[in-house]
Amino acid sequence: MLSMFPASGVDELVATGGPADREVDVAPRFKPGDMIRARNIHSPTHTRLPRYVRGRVGEVIEACGGYVYPDTNALQQGENPQHMYNVRFTAKELWGPDADPGFVIIISLWEDYIEPAN
Amino acid sequence: MNSIADMGGMHGLGPIRVEENEPVFHAEWERRMFGMFILAFAGGHFNVDMFRYGMEQMPPAEYLGSDYYEHWLHSLTMWIAANGSVTEEEILARMKEIEEREAA
Amino acid sequence: MGAVHEDHNHHRSRVALRVKAVESLLVEKGLVDPAAIDKLVDLYENKIGPRNGARVVAKAWADPEYRKRLLKDGTAAIRELGYSGVQGEEMVVLENTPTVHNMVVCTLCSCYPWPTLGLPPNWYKAAPYRSRAVIDPRGVLAEFGVTLPDGKEIRVWDANAELRYLVLPERPEGTEGMSEEALAELVTRDSMIGVGFAKTP
Repeated sequence: MLSMFPASGVDELVATGGPADREVDVAPRFKPGDMIRARNIHSPTHTRLPRYVRGRVGEVIEACGGYVYPDTNALQQGENPQHMYNVRFTAKELWGPDADPGFVIIISLWEDYIEPAN
Repeated sequence: MNSIADMGGMHGLGPIRVEENEPVFHAEWERRMFGMFILAFAGGHFNVDMFRYGMEQMPPAEYLGSDYYEHWLHSLTMWIAANGSVTEEEILARMKEIEEREAA
Repeated sequence: MGAVHEDHNHHRSRVALRVKAVESLLVEKGLVDPAAIDKLVDLYENKIGPRNGARVVAKAWADPEYRKRLLKDGTAAIRELGYSGVQGEEMVVLENTPTVHNMVVCTLCSCYPWPTLGLPPNWYKAAPYRSRAVIDPRGVLAEFGVTLPDGKEIRVWDANAELRYLVLPERPEGTEGMSEEALAELVTRDSMIGVGFAKTP
């Protein structure tokens, strides 16, 4: 449904925004401390799983709760909310043995993007 | 998609160029494009994931060689054409009209 | 060089014309209210900007209880100061310490906490920062004139979901007893992204 958003609504729109968190009926599959592997999946359509973490092992640092799933939402196939996690990868894991050991990368990964590390 | 937008870890994309005292908007068209994105979103033309998906489909050379808000323009025009609101033909015709009017 | 510059200017004038045409059509078809565009532009050009985030940081420095609330629930604590909404619906505050330095990037596009920092600068949205922040953060920091001691861990946060990150920079030396207003003057936008430090008085 298309509509014209009025000037009178701008202040509230800006102050409220569009939260993406959603209730998810199932329990999260992973918890902080779990070692996961980002799946080696290559969606030809929209995804927020970048190539640089695919196939790599990281540690779940937070179970963030349920969020709209971008991969289906971008195709107008529904929000399909699922659990999302903040996962920490070491530089060496992502960039190889010569990487600077003094940094880590933290990224948010939806449950469909990850699997247990072993 | 394995698009040009998925650039984490790429080499060779150049030095970081910081503009001193950068204005929020560099030109009037950036202002109007910013506003149109928010209003098209609020008007139901796309959700944020669709919008990002639209930008990812920009031809890579154009994506890298254009100003930021051109990415937004690409996605906006893609979606308003897809839902039948505004066609490319209408845009080109209107550009011609405006150009002729402003030259007069 | 001249010809390339001319080409860029010609291209930009075509882009400007195209934007004009699109707006004209959307307005004519009753899909966009141009007065709404005007309002949005005014908000983001004149009202919403990094001074908001600076106030959040200054309050956290001055008020230990606020700092605790801010680190526990960034969204609620930032909303206490009146900042909320579009591209800041869910805020996570990242504390810089003597052993940890946080840096934020959106490798896939340009996600940034608008209510606290306003709209992002071009360098944040462009290919060089987006590609290098996750693979060479020390090199990126060096380009910003920042050198960290070797022992300090750098945490690079890729804002690929709808969580929006605000870095809480370390409070500079020599700022004891300063008012929140004066402290806020020391907080730079870059320090809240994680590519700089707060200024010393």
